Amino acid sequence: MDQQGAGGDVEVPAGLGLTAAEYEQLRPTVDAHHRYAVGEGQCSSLLAQRIHAPPAAVWAIVRRFDCPQVYKHFIRSCAVRPDPDAGDALRPGRLREVCVISGLPASTSTERLDHLDDAARVFGFSITGGEHRLRNYRSVTTVSELAGPGICTVVLESYAVDVPDGNTEDDTRLFADTVIRLNLQKLKSVAEASTSSSAPPPPSE
Amino acid sequence: MSMAQVCCDSAVTAAPVAGPEAEARARARAERRRRAAEAGRWKHAAAAGTAAADATRKRSLEAGELLVARKHGAASVAGRRREMEDAVSVRESFAAEGDADGGGRRDFYGVFDGHGCSHVAEACRDRMHDLLAEELAAADGSGSAATWTAAMERSFARMDAEAMSAGGSAACRCDPHKCDHVGSTAVVAVVEERRVVVANCGDSRALLCRGGGAPPLPLSSDHKPDRPDELERIEAAGGRVIFWEGARVLGVLAMSRAIGDGYLKPYVSSVPEVTVTDRADADECLILASDGLWDVVSNEAACEVARACLRRGRARWCAEAAALLTKLALARRSSDNVSVVVVDLRRRDH
Repeated sequence: MDQQGAGGDVEVPAGLGLTAAEYEQLRPTVDAHHRYAVGEGQCSSLLAQRIHAPPAAVWAIVRRFDCPQVYKHFIRSCAVRPDPDAGDALRPGRLREVCVISGLPASTSTERLDHLDDAARVFGFSITGGEHRLRNYRSVTTVSELAGPGICTVVLESYAVDVPDGNTEDDTRLFADTVIRLNLQKLKSVAEASTSSSAPPPPSE
Repeated sequence: MSMAQVCCDSAVTAAPVAGPEAEARARARAERRRRAAEAGRWKHAAAAGTAAADATRKRSLEAGELLVARKHGAASVAGRRREMEDAVSVRESFAAEGDADGGGRRDFYGVFDGHGCSHVAEACRDRMHDLLAEELAAADGSGSAATWTAAMERSFARMDAEAMSAGGSAACRCDPHKCDHVGSTAVVAVVEERRVVVANCGDSRALLCRGGGAPPLPLSSDHKPDRPDELERIEAAGGRVIFWEGARVLGVLAMSRAIGDGYLKPYVSSVPEVTVTDRADADECLILASDGLWDVVSNEAACEVARACLRRGRARWCAEAAALLTKLALARRSSDNVSVVVVDLRRRDH
């Protein structure tokens, strides 16, 4: 991640699509959850998505470690591995096996739930195995509310990952950002659709 | 058994797999799928003696499908892929030939290799010939190459629009309006009395086997993202091609043109490349197939297999050739669905 200046004007990371004022509100969240110690041969990225739906409604979708296909593209099926100690509880350490649709440069992904904080609305997972080229991938998604007119929720998703042999940092970021951007767009449409369908119609005069 | 004998014949005549690129691609995919279950147990059943001579028959077998007719044959098998996403369309006399060429027959053949799910390929199988028939009926009767190109381009554009506005089929249960990541190749051939017209979008392929010792004639050119003109078009549109298990648009899709795939528009285009080729008396057959075949079998080898079946002199040699090519692809450990259509182009007096 870019280092922020110690003082003076806030510099919003390029391509994030947020205003300086918005980024300033989100900065504590970014500092707490979206910074990575990225070594040589790795890269990282941060993406943002505005959603016009209550943060609680968005969080209810994001936190479903067992059912990512609700808002993620490219998933053919997902199964959480049974854990006799945990029962049905979703808690750090749980693993899921994701099968990917055809035509993509991946077929399966084994993913570990790293963080699930309902109070802070922080969700984190890492990829521990499977057939794909994303080694040492770890990701955090946060759901934040922006103060201001109207409901505005901002989802931030960040990741760090190894750069595969034969590819550049730019290649790796392009691939991962493409997938995440598509997922965040779907999250927006799913969350806004569920909110609008559940809202009562405005009273007529 | 007869197929074993044909296999032995083809083993002698078959050329090695095409070029290092296809070989590397096939090997890479085979490596990834090594632990997969055994290849589909597709088998060619003995012909039923009582079948009507000219009837087109379709046989579904455990893991594959064979369509047998006098002038053509088609074979499809899921192979080592997890599910079947290819579709094949054969529509004899699907449209009247234009006035300028006099009365005559037009036969439609299509191979559609789906990805992400099967419903776009299935929609192409069910609708592409109808859309094209409508466009041809509306076109001027000249039958010129420009007219064919325009009709094909409009048909593909309409098919693309239909694919992207429809949801999944009842079978696949994709959410409507959330199938942006589903698409299909489309290689389509119209066989007329005097010409063969091919339109291609994606990395399936059409090949003309000319007789008299002539080399096979490709009637389509594969739309791979690193084909120089495709790379240029994609980058001019603001996209990028990166090598992520082969050249992929945005690192995601391994072809540069397809029906569907709304999320990758405008980089992944549905505009077909169209060829119009005069038929020659010595022409033997036309082969349409998905890349599950072409990744592991060269053009020359495919023509040799078809020619070997032709020389055996059987009435249903096209179906034999299609089935044999499918088996050959599986034997060479193709990691994809395989679909093959073979059309007899010999003149009627044969």
